[in-house]
Amino acid sequence: MNQRKENKIPDLLSKARWILPVLLWVALILFSKDYLMKVEERSYFEFDLFWLSEYLCKPSGVLSLFGLFLTQFLHIPWVGALIWVLLLTASAELTRIVFRIPAHLSVLAYLPASIFVAYNLSMGYIVYVMNLPGYFFLPVLGCLWALLTIKVFRKSRKPVISLLLALFWGFAGYYIAGFYALAGIAAACIDIILSDHSRICRIMTLTGAVAVIILAPILFVGTTTYNISNGWTIGMPEQIYELSQSRMQIPLIPAFLLLIIAPFSKHLSRISGTRVLSLIQGVSLAAAIAIPSIFWFRDDNFKAELGMIRSADNLEWDKAISILEQVQSRHEDDPAWEPTRVMVVLKDLALIKTGREGQRIFDFEDGDKEQKRSWNLPMSFQIGRILHLNYGIPGLCNRWLIEETVFFGSNYQTYKYHAMNAILLNDTQFALKYLDKLEHTLFYRKWAREQRKLCIDRSLVAKTAPYDMILPLMCYDDQVCSDFQGCEFFLLEHFNGPRPDNATPLYDRVALFFAMKNKQSTLFWTRFFLYLDSNNPKKIDRYYQEAAYLFSQNNKELMEAIPYDDQVKTLYNSFVQNAAKTGKMNHEEARQNFAVNLRHTYFYYYYYVNELVMF
Amino acid sequence: MRKISVYIILSVLILASCGRGVQNPVSGSDAAIFPDYRNITVPVNIAPANFMILDTAGKYITLLESGDVKVKVTGKKVVIPIRKWRKLTSQGNITVNIFEKKGKGWIRMNSFGINVADEIDPYLTYRVIPPLFESYQRLTINQRDITTFSEKVVYANSMVSHGTQTQCINCHSFKNWHTDNMQFHIRQYLGGTIMYTNGKLEKLNMKTDSTISAAVYPSWHPTHDYIAYSTNMTFQNIHTNHTNRIEVFDDESDLILYNLSDKAVSIIENDSTQFECYPSWAPDGKTLFYVSAYTGNPSDFKKAGGAAAANANATFKYSLYSKRFNPENRTWSPKQMFYDAAAVDSSVTWPRVSPDGRWLLCCISTHGVFPPNQEVSDLIMFDLEKGTRRYVDEINSNKSESYHSWASNGKWVVISSRREDGVHTRLYLSHLNEDGTFTKPFLLPQKDPEFSHKFMYSFNIPEFTVEPVKVSARMLASFIKSTDAKQVNYESKREE
Repeated sequence: MNQRKENKIPDLLSKARWILPVLLWVALILFSKDYLMKVEERSYFEFDLFWLSEYLCKPSGVLSLFGLFLTQFLHIPWVGALIWVLLLTASAELTRIVFRIPAHLSVLAYLPASIFVAYNLSMGYIVYVMNLPGYFFLPVLGCLWALLTIKVFRKSRKPVISLLLALFWGFAGYYIAGFYALAGIAAACIDIILSDHSRICRIMTLTGAVAVIILAPILFVGTTTYNISNGWTIGMPEQIYELSQSRMQIPLIPAFLLLIIAPFSKHLSRISGTRVLSLIQGVSLAAAIAIPSIFWFRDDNFKAELGMIRSADNLEWDKAISILEQVQSRHEDDPAWEPTRVMVVLKDLALIKTGREGQRIFDFEDGDKEQKRSWNLPMSFQIGRILHLNYGIPGLCNRWLIEETVFFGSNYQTYKYHAMNAILLNDTQFALKYLDKLEHTLFYRKWAREQRKLCIDRSLVAKTAPYDMILPLMCYDDQVCSDFQGCEFFLLEHFNGPRPDNATPLYDRVALFFAMKNKQSTLFWTRFFLYLDSNNPKKIDRYYQEAAYLFSQNNKELMEAIPYDDQVKTLYNSFVQNAAKTGKMNHEEARQNFAVNLRHTYFYYYYYVNELVMF
Repeated sequence: MRKISVYIILSVLILASCGRGVQNPVSGSDAAIFPDYRNITVPVNIAPANFMILDTAGKYITLLESGDVKVKVTGKKVVIPIRKWRKLTSQGNITVNIFEKKGKGWIRMNSFGINVADEIDPYLTYRVIPPLFESYQRLTINQRDITTFSEKVVYANSMVSHGTQTQCINCHSFKNWHTDNMQFHIRQYLGGTIMYTNGKLEKLNMKTDSTISAAVYPSWHPTHDYIAYSTNMTFQNIHTNHTNRIEVFDDESDLILYNLSDKAVSIIENDSTQFECYPSWAPDGKTLFYVSAYTGNPSDFKKAGGAAAANANATFKYSLYSKRFNPENRTWSPKQMFYDAAAVDSSVTWPRVSPDGRWLLCCISTHGVFPPNQEVSDLIMFDLEKGTRRYVDEINSNKSESYHSWASNGKWVVISSRREDGVHTRLYLSHLNEDGTFTKPFLLPQKDPEFSHKFMYSFNIPEFTVEPVKVSARMLASFIKSTDAKQVNYESKREE
């Protein structure tokens, strides 16, 4: 009776472990939905033997395939998250069972899983460059494999069988799970050494395990085109892009170290005393929650970027604008907040797509807030494909798709954009190559079948989004160029260049937008009158009026020729009056003063939004 | 027992129904197949010409007949066992009959032939590369045994690369179709020219103070220990709105000769108003063909900078030149115009002379030095005996035809073509007839007939050899990792 009372707190804490998966699942859906979908978008799984066979011939390829298979379910975030959480829970509970961790210390078994969670959710912008197929599920799948290895090794008590098992399971395991198999063998070996198996049995297991750990990478990787120095860590992320191998691997090591020292946990049963047990359970529970919480990559701009990119990919332009509105309103009282260039240029595109750039462009903050990362990641790798495709530069879109594929592997989005790009260029066979692939996927086949119809009936292309708004922008003569990784700068140059002979109304509208942003009055007037000629708008949009009003201050004819709204004149007058008041202030003080009431005007943009870093 | 009887009766009925259908088939049209192996000519030792029937039908039976050998293959994918294929080709020309079951009846599609001709060199070495553009994180040089489907990696950059420390590997080349003398280049990380000569590996730095770059496009001298190279300052730019997609151009280029004995390079041609490229020896080793474009004063277009310069470079037109050479004392005669392509608003590249010295096959397009990315690029052939030339229409397609190589017996060529989808380069083989015409080019057979459609990489620089490469990929990787490039010397040009 007393014993039961004594264990009440540890037992209660033990039961509390079931809250962890629920908490994680809810947190994932609430805070990381866009991130999960980004993980899925940058992955690829195809139900096709030819494609599968490419993985089956590589060490650790089988585990990668499982990882890729499961990653596709992140397309529906709550489903993918649920699968992941269940696997994490299974790995934790199996850890508890395999290592016979006493019930009143059961939360300890959740620590490796919490490290996996922290690892995956700490990635942030790494999601753009991660090139290890199936990486999101690999650690937990690898952990399950390692636990299975320990269970299997325990079964044999005959020396020869132990040796053969270590060799067979080890080599086969390495082929299936790479590094995770080696970690499993190391853990299993320690487990057997500490067990009551006979001495000869332990020696045989150890001999087999050591042979596998030394030879498997040499034998398997030696027959592939991998760098042999990566043989022992195959299945873990290698050095990718500008991120070091240690950055990608070290965070995972503690989880597997825990597994390797876990066989010593049999001594845990000797621990007694309510206070000690409660303390261990409490600290474990706190750590299981704290580790992911501390490392969880939290950045409002990153989250908004992901949402806006996804909206752009899905042609949901209003949604992209709404995401920016929401994040901007959340930071209304935060003077230090500003959007990243990715957010700004996507917003510009979304406004152009919805025909509201002239009405709304300066309703939003401009800015060039640095993305929360310490390594170089060109904007082209993030949204180059979206910008170049939608602004009618298929050549550069194609370039970045290929570069992305070469650097980071194939993914659903690159295939989608390849197909769209080829449809734009009337390159049907090339488009079909990608559509055929996407038709073998679970969540993109419907899209691919719709696009196939456009390949069959070309006349539909000009009537179908997004092509209906891209083809009119492709009215210029082809030229040879390079964007030198600066897609925003390239677009500015492109639309500020000579007007094509066959310029369409949409082209003139976009060119006017870029001329307005460029702040050159001569260019603006040229574009402005071309826009009026070709678009013949019933009413000139507010911000175009503001720009025209500003640039016509020294030209009475222009001032009188254009029917400016009273609101535009009033705002300009306010601006002029304010300028008189701020005459003695330095530029920054004046900017802050103007920002209070006039930041959402072209006048403010013209005078005070300067020196932004473009990408 | 009762069950067994039922199975036997069912099997007999099924077989009978098949037999009855095929025995009385209705005549049909041409079956749609991929690759298009209809009425092609294949080497007697080529791997099975597996293909896929694209028509939609309930069942498919394909009968291949040659002499008294008959092979039946069922299913949409016609994958012919290699032993049976050997028996077929050993008998001579093959007739292919395809039967398709539509509804309850069988349709006999129009039969077609596969002609069997001379042997081909068994090995083809090529680069496997993502199509287009600048990144080269995943590149391999592979060697395919084209008499089977076996393929091995000669060298892969992933064997030594780390993160952004990567290599471009290119321009593999062999002397006289044998692998005792082989070279290829590695750019960037651990870079150098890898020279394998009679069992010995070397890594060389071919850039000297007197030459504009390291060695690029090679041509082994057929009788002596020389290699002619171009030296190029190569750049790439992107087409904004064209299916050509990318333009590769030179900003400078010259020709050099590397003397393997002295480990020294000397200038062959470095006219300051010309860009010279693609050296190629005639089989006697006494004439060097190459292409060259008049550029005027390079500083004029370089001043324009960036895209303007690129657009200017892209307009250069290369003509074909030759130059006599005395291999004994390494002296050169003045260059001679062989074909003034620029005068007819064309650009000619990649000259390759047939092993018998009779034919000279080149690429021809509207402009520039790099035809793979130009849809209009075709093959043109010169008859060196009669002094005539013609577009090789029987090979050309409406997409790019580019890099081509002769087999050692001069009976076969391999060409690189993008005819399938405009982007992925695939390898096609074609037989040279006695009259100087070629047979219909056919896609290099693959075990899985869908391979070409599903494979997302390109093949380029196909080179025949009569034997496999003798150094392993691991050995090359280990050598490349552990060896610094040795600087070659520079020696003055010798004029006649």
